[in-house]
Amino acid sequence: MMGIEQLFHHDVLSSVMMVLIGFVALCIAVFAWRYLAGDRGKGAFYGYLLIVVVCLFVLVMADHMAVLLGAIAGANFGLVRLLGHNRQWPAAQQSARLAWRNFTLGWLLLCAALLILYGASGESSIQAMLDSDIASGSLWLSSSLIVLAAMTQSALWPFHKWLSNSLNAPTPVSAIMHAGLVNGGGFLLARFAPLLSEQPLLLTAIFVIGIVSAILATLWKLIQSNIKQMLAYSTMGQMGFMIAQCGLGLLPAAIAHIFWHGLFKAYLFLSSGSAAKEPRLSLHYPPSALQFLLALTAGVSAAVIFAATTHKSVFAGDTTLFLLVITVIAGTQVALPLMQANKRLTKPLAFTLTASLAFVYGLSVSFIEHTLAPLAMSHPQPLNIIHISALVVMTTTWMWIIFAHKSAPEQVPKWQLKAYVALLNSSQPQASTMTAHRNHYQV
Amino acid sequence: MTTIAMRDQQLLDTAIVSSWSKIAPYWPLQNLIAVNPLAGFEHLPFEQALQQAHGYFQQRDLAAEMQTVNRHSIKWLQAFFDQGQAAISMPYRERGLLASLRLMITLDASLHRHDAEKLQWLGALSEHADEVIAEALEFLAIPVTEHGQFLTLMLTTLPGWASYVRYRTHWADSHDSGHPHQVNAAEYLAFRLILTCLVWPQAKQLLATHEQAVSSAELPSAYTTMLAREQAYRVALLTQLKGAGSAHQHAPQHSRYAAQLVFCIDVRSEPLRRAIEQQGNYQTFGFAGFFGLPVAIENAVTGASHASCPVLLKPNHKVVESPVGSLQNCRKAHQRGQTLKKLYQSLKYNFTTPFVLADAMGVGHGVWMGLRSLVPATAGALTTRVQSALGQHQQLHPNSAVIALPQRINYAASALRMMGLTEQFAPWVVLCGHGSTTTNNIHATALDCGACGGRHGAPNARILAAILNDGEVRAGLAAEGIEIPSDTTFVAAEHNTTTDQVELFSSPANSQQQAQLAVIKRDLRKASEQNSDWRAAQLGLTARGAEAHRATALRAQHWAEVRPEWGLARNAAFIVGPRAWTQDIDLDGRAFLHSYEWQSDGDGSALTTILTAPMVVGQWINAHYLFATLDNVAFGGGSKVTANITGKIGVMQGNGSDLMHGLPLQSVYASDQQSYHEPMRLLVVVRAPQARLNAIIAQQPILQKLFGNGWITMVCCDPQLQQYFTLQRDLTWCATD
Repeated sequence: MMGIEQLFHHDVLSSVMMVLIGFVALCIAVFAWRYLAGDRGKGAFYGYLLIVVVCLFVLVMADHMAVLLGAIAGANFGLVRLLGHNRQWPAAQQSARLAWRNFTLGWLLLCAALLILYGASGESSIQAMLDSDIASGSLWLSSSLIVLAAMTQSALWPFHKWLSNSLNAPTPVSAIMHAGLVNGGGFLLARFAPLLSEQPLLLTAIFVIGIVSAILATLWKLIQSNIKQMLAYSTMGQMGFMIAQCGLGLLPAAIAHIFWHGLFKAYLFLSSGSAAKEPRLSLHYPPSALQFLLALTAGVSAAVIFAATTHKSVFAGDTTLFLLVITVIAGTQVALPLMQANKRLTKPLAFTLTASLAFVYGLSVSFIEHTLAPLAMSHPQPLNIIHISALVVMTTTWMWIIFAHKSAPEQVPKWQLKAYVALLNSSQPQASTMTAHRNHYQV
Repeated sequence: MTTIAMRDQQLLDTAIVSSWSKIAPYWPLQNLIAVNPLAGFEHLPFEQALQQAHGYFQQRDLAAEMQTVNRHSIKWLQAFFDQGQAAISMPYRERGLLASLRLMITLDASLHRHDAEKLQWLGALSEHADEVIAEALEFLAIPVTEHGQFLTLMLTTLPGWASYVRYRTHWADSHDSGHPHQVNAAEYLAFRLILTCLVWPQAKQLLATHEQAVSSAELPSAYTTMLAREQAYRVALLTQLKGAGSAHQHAPQHSRYAAQLVFCIDVRSEPLRRAIEQQGNYQTFGFAGFFGLPVAIENAVTGASHASCPVLLKPNHKVVESPVGSLQNCRKAHQRGQTLKKLYQSLKYNFTTPFVLADAMGVGHGVWMGLRSLVPATAGALTTRVQSALGQHQQLHPNSAVIALPQRINYAASALRMMGLTEQFAPWVVLCGHGSTTTNNIHATALDCGACGGRHGAPNARILAAILNDGEVRAGLAAEGIEIPSDTTFVAAEHNTTTDQVELFSSPANSQQQAQLAVIKRDLRKASEQNSDWRAAQLGLTARGAEAHRATALRAQHWAEVRPEWGLARNAAFIVGPRAWTQDIDLDGRAFLHSYEWQSDGDGSALTTILTAPMVVGQWINAHYLFATLDNVAFGGGSKVTANITGKIGVMQGNGSDLMHGLPLQSVYASDQQSYHEPMRLLVVVRAPQARLNAIIAQQPILQKLFGNGWITMVCCDPQLQQYFTLQRDLTWCATD
């Protein structure tokens, strides 16, 4: 007989994930107590929430492959039941069904991957599998399957439909989902990191998958006119970025992203009832060249501060440079409204604020990186042309919004009109999960 | 144009107008106004209206093809009407609904599937909406006699969006947020028809399906229950009124009141009025919360403006409210807040930057989420402090002088006359508006003052107080026979309906005044605590006393609260008469109370205004709650739990649905199964001579419509005959025992 402790493996990665899940679940449980007052499904909500949280705790500590598979299945089952919280409403049931199909696919892919690893290593413990020598064919196949499974769980293109169709769920369910289950893909990649880090080609593929999702989802997000759909596509984009970080070999940064984004998005969902009270402010684009250059200077200094706080080298020439360039972009963006304000004190203030935000950003990331240090998960890769192309796209699209995008242009090129219609159509919910006849909605 | 073409055009215009007449407007989330969702059926007897409504709005099913049309409509309407959610919005919206959407539709392959015939048809359509409608009706082979009906079905198969368009085309006020993207009634119909032609050329079937639905429609069983409930309530209320009326008739007040307080007619004022009257020598009045001032309010700090009067009126004046302190400092603080918000939005709504934003702001959002969920009261206090630092919560004063003196005198005189306060002024007269405070509440403005256009009532109270404290105005009033003693001061106030607190906006001149005002404030505090007690019980809480006060206050601050207060739920009656008549009755927070002294309204003009304005608004509110309770899906907003704000203007359910106009489930239901509001039609009781009422009704078609079709039950308490009469549907009176 195997002892129970042999089924589990506890490390700092499990701890980080449990802190996130535990805290978000606690907030959501307290929130829902009021929010679901009088709801006939309140009892069931807490039941399934408990199942989800327990299963996620088991998942992040699982070592035996059967425990891992069981926990994933359990957590996803709980989530599917939560998605279909309103049992009278056909559209909600359809959303749940769609998610269930996706999760089943992901689960089967993971099953196959683990069975291959089991066959190749003869071990049922994941840690033992990772330590054994596995033939390159099996290694390649199983890790590809794990990547695919991760894509289904983290709603990456083309497996994103379950997430973008999940808004028939109660708001707190969306919150736990966007802070918890959707991160499962990142967790899987982190768990099986030793398999992936030896395959540069696969890592580049993961990076491409992540970046494609990140850019596509951001496009979808920016054209959504309802708050929850916007948040859903935003999560999809963030997951893309997180998986791209995995592909860069920067797993600690990816886990940091899971952690902070989880808190960020759970909050945004719970506060989505305030959307109508937050008018969109005019940003007065485009800025003058001088304003932009000043902001850019602040952005560069932000990247230096970020590098210093996270102990990254500015001149490493590896994929850490990717994060630094992203920081330059974000830092520039932070400084820009202040540079544009054109008041006496705003320019020094812009530098100070950008620097402090970069510091907070650096601290947040390095806090998680530091915690995860014992696992030695960071394997920056040499920069390649694909990484650089992605940076070019990310920079151009960002600058396009600032310099070229007009809110009401007199003439729009035909291709842009077509692109708009195509993006709007491809981001629509599936017909069966919409309530096209009002009275099909039921309380 | 030939005569035939002109006649066709006229017929079509009539069809368009008649189709829209079935649709009640739906105001956006910024100022949710209660309306009767069946306002388009008020020309019918109530029972017939119910049946018609069932046929149009409550059908269990809809043809699959029409659902496809709806899905595309929802997609494009969200994109067109979006007021700032999308960062990249639909192109060419400034060209108007039809022009822009027609272009989009020709590019939308999911609609025409590159079918050459359909594309050609689209290309050949006329430019004008009217002509498009005619062409589409011809394409669908709709007989001329059915044009009106078919157009109606184009609207009623997606009723929420039609209601929003109705608001935009008939009600939207230029003082509310600007609407750069134009729509008119014909354009919207043309848009729906184009989609229908593309998706479902056989849509003519809708006519037959609808006819069948109407012919098989029966009165809902809830109607019988409602009749019984109305009857029981009427008997009980009239019994109470009869008993109380005789006791108070000959008990004139001799000593001067310590203060007179004027509240809004809103049903939430009644329990508070009862509570304050019990604290001491106070007299209260009920008056429409906009205090008779047709104004728009502009905030000098933010520059934002809104109409602050009933939607039936158009503002005649724009009054700017400025902070009592330095305007410049407040503006600076406001600017600081705006810059921070811009910074956040600029990071959130761009490419690439949100990825860093999430990491950098994660810890902040996490901490704030924890605080708001686990220690909500602390989070609420923190929010207030930050808001104060950003220049909010400043005391404001209005520049009421923009209204010309004769006008000011006029407004003051008619307000005082209508509320029946023309003599025996107390040293203090408190003009109390009302508003709600809620957190993270989609339907927040539904709890604000309807008479002020779904906004807070304090600005109007401040304006009228300033007018009435003005020496020139008082001189003018004296010339009209209203003598206000020099030691009388008018004070503006606001009743917070979520926390029960009453805030006075005043700066007393001398120590004697300070002492007097301190007593009034103390008594108001006691009254509000008493009211909290009562409200806590209504909310199903066991807390009493100070604990109840805290519990109701917490509801205003808690971000997960779906029932911060009950609003106007359980409203049932509208009572017009002197307060002395109702003062000893516990009306249970179910009655609108409008002060009225029939003796001082010789020509009945005040009563005419009361019946045609505040009472009509009362009926809108009543019907709004009634239908949201009868069928919360067809006439309400559904559960808040799965609500999704679209375009910052309204809510959908989940992934996508019709615009869910009407009150959400949680506003009228205590739980998914148990309604809190008791659906019943408004009972109006007026203390005035029957003959005067007859004269007014004979002149007012709107009253004939509402009384004659049974939308309102009218009871007259004739002070001369000392008898009660109920108005029947044939507009004759029947003595009530």
